[in-house]
Amino acid sequence: MTAPHLSERDGTQVEALIADRYLDGLLAAGDRRATDAPADAALDPDVREAARVLRAALVRVHPSFRFEERLAGRLADLAAAQAAPALTSGGGQVLAFPSAAQPVDRAAVDLASGPLPARRPLIVGGAITSAAISIVGVAWVAWRASRPGSSRAPGVMGRAARTAHARRAAAAFTGLGGPA
Amino acid sequence: MVRPVFGRAERAAEPVVVLDRDRRLVEAARRDPAQFDALYRKYLAQVYAFALYELADHHAAEDATERTFLRALAALPRFREQAQPEDGPEASTFRVWLFRIARNVIANERRTRRRQPAESLDAALGAGLAIADGTDIEAQAVTRDEAAHALRALRALPDDRRRALLLRFVDEMSTAEIAEVLDRSEGAVRVLIHRGLAGVARELGRDRGRDRGAASGHGRGSPS
Repeated sequence: MTAPHLSERDGTQVEALIADRYLDGLLAAGDRRATDAPADAALDPDVREAARVLRAALVRVHPSFRFEERLAGRLADLAAAQAAPALTSGGGQVLAFPSAAQPVDRAAVDLASGPLPARRPLIVGGAITSAAISIVGVAWVAWRASRPGSSRAPGVMGRAARTAHARRAAAAFTGLGGPA
Repeated sequence: MVRPVFGRAERAAEPVVVLDRDRRLVEAARRDPAQFDALYRKYLAQVYAFALYELADHHAAEDATERTFLRALAALPRFREQAQPEDGPEASTFRVWLFRIARNVIANERRTRRRQPAESLDAALGAGLAIADGTDIEAQAVTRDEAAHALRALRALPDDRRRALLLRFVDEMSTAEIAEVLDRSEGAVRVLIHRGLAGVARELGRDRGRDRGAASGHGRGSPS
């Protein structure tokens, strides 16, 4: 970059800074409702005049009140939708189910003692054992029910009891009371 | 720093720097999104006016304004205050953040509406309600023709110069705020504004010359 370029750029920056200061004064005068526009001899009069005209021409414009209230309603709906999940999630905390690969967050889970990964196979093993016992029990009941003569066939003890009962009845009837 | 002096604590004077003048409103809206209404009412006219001057169509301006505020409310939890003490007590990073959203929304709107003819800015401005302020006194001194010429000249400017002028005059932003909104340095924004003003001045001078020429032409042509 050459020296003339630098000076030209500096000159532009200085003019821009002067214009900026002038605008600060012009806008502040508008805020104060002052009738006198600031005068800055260092600024090009045409630029000054353009700023004055733009200041008057560029008024702030308000949208219609109907639009304002309609948009306010839409924002209120969106706000309610945003607030709803916050309210529902405020009462509890969702905890991820701990896995063997991930360390357990003791503070969140609040376990008194014992590592959770060590308990988990025990629980699973118990459930498997319980299920296996249930299946065996069901199979045994089914097997018993499927045998047709099983309930009618007398057992050894039943036969012995019936024989003893018949002998006592015969002895009483004959008055012998059994062998002497 | 608290230092005990004769049994009492002497409190050194610490300057209280309010970094964002909207901090309380923003915090309230973060706690309860329904409180965003206060920020909406505060900046509605500024955003709408910026959109209206940029798009020259009050329907498009309403659409852009609506999208801007809906996006702002949805993204409010992600807003981070970035004001610096040197920005002064009037700095509002929320306003800058809001106008960055508006700038993007309006740029999209301009792209989609490029093929559609825009209504005249005069007609568009007639659809809104001009807010009376201190400029009324000056407005009396500026003729309607001059204002119309200035608006035409403004619309003929390159986008970045026009935006910088609008944010400076309509929304009364500081150069630092405009720099944040437009993603430029402060020096670059000053140059944009100066060149924009020079462009408007050239157009106004050309119009005046044309008017004088027309008037003198009438004078020469008129019967004595």
